[in-house]
Amino acid sequence: MSLRHYSNSETVDFVIVGSGPAGGVIARELSQGGFSVVLFEQGPRLTPADFEHDEFKYWFLGGITNDPAKNPQSFRSDVASKAAPLTLRPALWYARTVGGSSLHYTANYWRFHELDFNERSVLGPIAGTGFEDWPISYAELEPYYTKVDWEIGVSGLAGASPFDPPRTKPYPMPPLPVKSSGVLFERGARKLGLHPFPAPLVINSQPYRGRPACVHCGFCHGFACEVMAKASTLTTMIPEAEATGKCEVRSESYVVRIDTNERGRATGVAYFDRNRRELFQKARAVVVSANGAESPRLLLMSANARYPQGLSNSSGLVGKYLMFNVSSRAQGVFEHELNEYKSVQATRILHDFYQSDPKRGFYGGGALDARIGPQPIIWAQRLADYGPSWGSAYKQRLAAFARTMLVAGHGTSLPVATNSVSLDPDLKDPWGMPAIRATYKDHPDDLANARFLQDRAAEVLDAAGALSVEKAPITEQNFSMHLLGTCRMGNDPATSVVDKYHRSHDIANLFVCDGSSLVTSGRGQPTMTIQALAFRAAHYIGNFARRGEV
Amino acid sequence: MDLQDDAEFARRSFLRLLGGTLGASCLPLNWSEIARAAGEAATDISSGPRATKFLTAEEAADAEAICAQIIPTDSTPGAREVGVLFFLDRALVSFYAHQALTFRSGLAEFQGACRKWRPQANSFSALTSAQQIEFLRTVDQTPFFASMRLLTVIGMFSMPAYGGNRDGLGWKLLGFEDLHAFQPPFGHYDRDYPGFASELPKPT
Repeated sequence: MSLRHYSNSETVDFVIVGSGPAGGVIARELSQGGFSVVLFEQGPRLTPADFEHDEFKYWFLGGITNDPAKNPQSFRSDVASKAAPLTLRPALWYARTVGGSSLHYTANYWRFHELDFNERSVLGPIAGTGFEDWPISYAELEPYYTKVDWEIGVSGLAGASPFDPPRTKPYPMPPLPVKSSGVLFERGARKLGLHPFPAPLVINSQPYRGRPACVHCGFCHGFACEVMAKASTLTTMIPEAEATGKCEVRSESYVVRIDTNERGRATGVAYFDRNRRELFQKARAVVVSANGAESPRLLLMSANARYPQGLSNSSGLVGKYLMFNVSSRAQGVFEHELNEYKSVQATRILHDFYQSDPKRGFYGGGALDARIGPQPIIWAQRLADYGPSWGSAYKQRLAAFARTMLVAGHGTSLPVATNSVSLDPDLKDPWGMPAIRATYKDHPDDLANARFLQDRAAEVLDAAGALSVEKAPITEQNFSMHLLGTCRMGNDPATSVVDKYHRSHDIANLFVCDGSSLVTSGRGQPTMTIQALAFRAAHYIGNFARRGEV
Repeated sequence: MDLQDDAEFARRSFLRLLGGTLGASCLPLNWSEIARAAGEAATDISSGPRATKFLTAEEAADAEAICAQIIPTDSTPGAREVGVLFFLDRALVSFYAHQALTFRSGLAEFQGACRKWRPQANSFSALTSAQQIEFLRTVDQTPFFASMRLLTVIGMFSMPAYGGNRDGLGWKLLGFEDLHAFQPPFGHYDRDYPGFASELPKPT
């Protein structure tokens, strides 16, 4: 197949900035709809043969993720203080390669519940936050969740959780085989009257859509899948987009500005190619799907005389309401070996604590799952959290690796306006562009929720018969790869950045769709919802274009 | 939330290692340079006899003795047999080279403190094991020790290509098998699993 190439002098129908979970889906949908598309990606294009089981490289040496020398960032927890430059590892972490973070995610793919979309109406406002209903309901998103299930490929068991939202179709594949952690989690949770169920994963449990079944190698979490059983847009949506002959993937091309004309409409994007030449691609419309850190940054960097606060920023909310999700964990050691380093991370989860309960004394809800977490190096280093960190006692604990599991809690983060992505006033990247400045401090309710979920996790391990149960310390977060809420959707242009179709309130031919679109954080595991939003956005964007409304 | 917690942990650990904790004179390399340097070190280790390239014989003896107290040898191999010293030494001439001199002065400070603690001893490595443990308890909250601990863990459990984890002995200690595919059952508890459907929860 010869790949399509568009020249800069051509005006394409759509430029899409970012080839990750959202951008890949939108490129496939619009190019299959007959539109000409250039899909931009900062990072290189790799192939599955490039992916390795090298924990040191992927977790300590950067691997496929954003490099703080090329993509510097600064961080502060206090909005009044100056942010400190981060030179060794970014605060907002994402895979910087074609396919984006769909390459290195853990692949937990549960749907958000109905209450995630209207929780503000149910619970009322929360002082000091931007807690808000979404402009769409679960029912409006359901058909697109189903598209993710079937057109990308999710394994799971419909009806297995009494808390699951309604669905129009079952999963296309059965769940992955249960691991020992899943069996123990199920045993402990049922003893407590809870409702564990098979974890939905975007990993093939059997061959599906031309990709093989999982071989249970154990390297999902933070790694890219060399057998393509874990779906990424690199191996699903993007080849299908290219097969239309209408979509060009332009990798190692760094978009730094969206230009607008005298009518205030977007005209295309300025970008640096791999040789650092600045070029311009003309387009009839621009879709920004660069993730919850890079999308607001691009809109802010595109400030011009007509839009001095940045594009689509008449509300002043571009970059605000950054949400990370919280997590916590408890660790249990059992009598016999579990060998949790094998196969996918989580095979059993539960949603009994999904709903926020005022009786708990804080806002928040979440899920629990059974897993090992990291591979050997981080696991061994992390043992120091729980006790002796060297000597014979430490070595004995190391030897319990194969008999150990974690129960992890995943929960809500409240939208707080001061938690944000902005442009650092001083720090520049090697192209001379302003660095991302991240500001973040967990809301006290988020930390209370993390502690609550950890206590429930410890109870499940205890009920499952663990010989010992330990809780890891819970501290304020200063790092995330869940980059949510920074260009939120909404009906009111004064309190949101894009409308319910992801169209900018200010610029009719500019769209933003990715983690930045989320109004609330869900309970962790946002990528399934990001992809459902992308399918939905592409449906409406295509219709607008066909009707000449872009 | 997911990868997050682990990545934050890796970041904090590594910041402590590469960043200011060994000294203020941090000259950070970028990751691609680090990865390239680590790759070169890995190529280098695959051939030739094992000798230290950066550490002197005396430094190597003390550094290895520290690693061997962090993960001691008993009925199973410890840091010494796994060759953590060679990971450390290769690190100091590759991805960790910018900190090599700071590392050396950190080790010298450690050695000086040890001589002060037990003036009659020639070196840390010459102490009895019980004495070594006693001394380490006085310094195990220092940044130098934290760095030695992280380097020991990485040298134990990273791919053998990086210079440590000789013959996969570190992984063997954990019970981690380095294979590219597995089949269920994966462990003891999923062997006789009756299946989820047989125990579906009652409708609520």
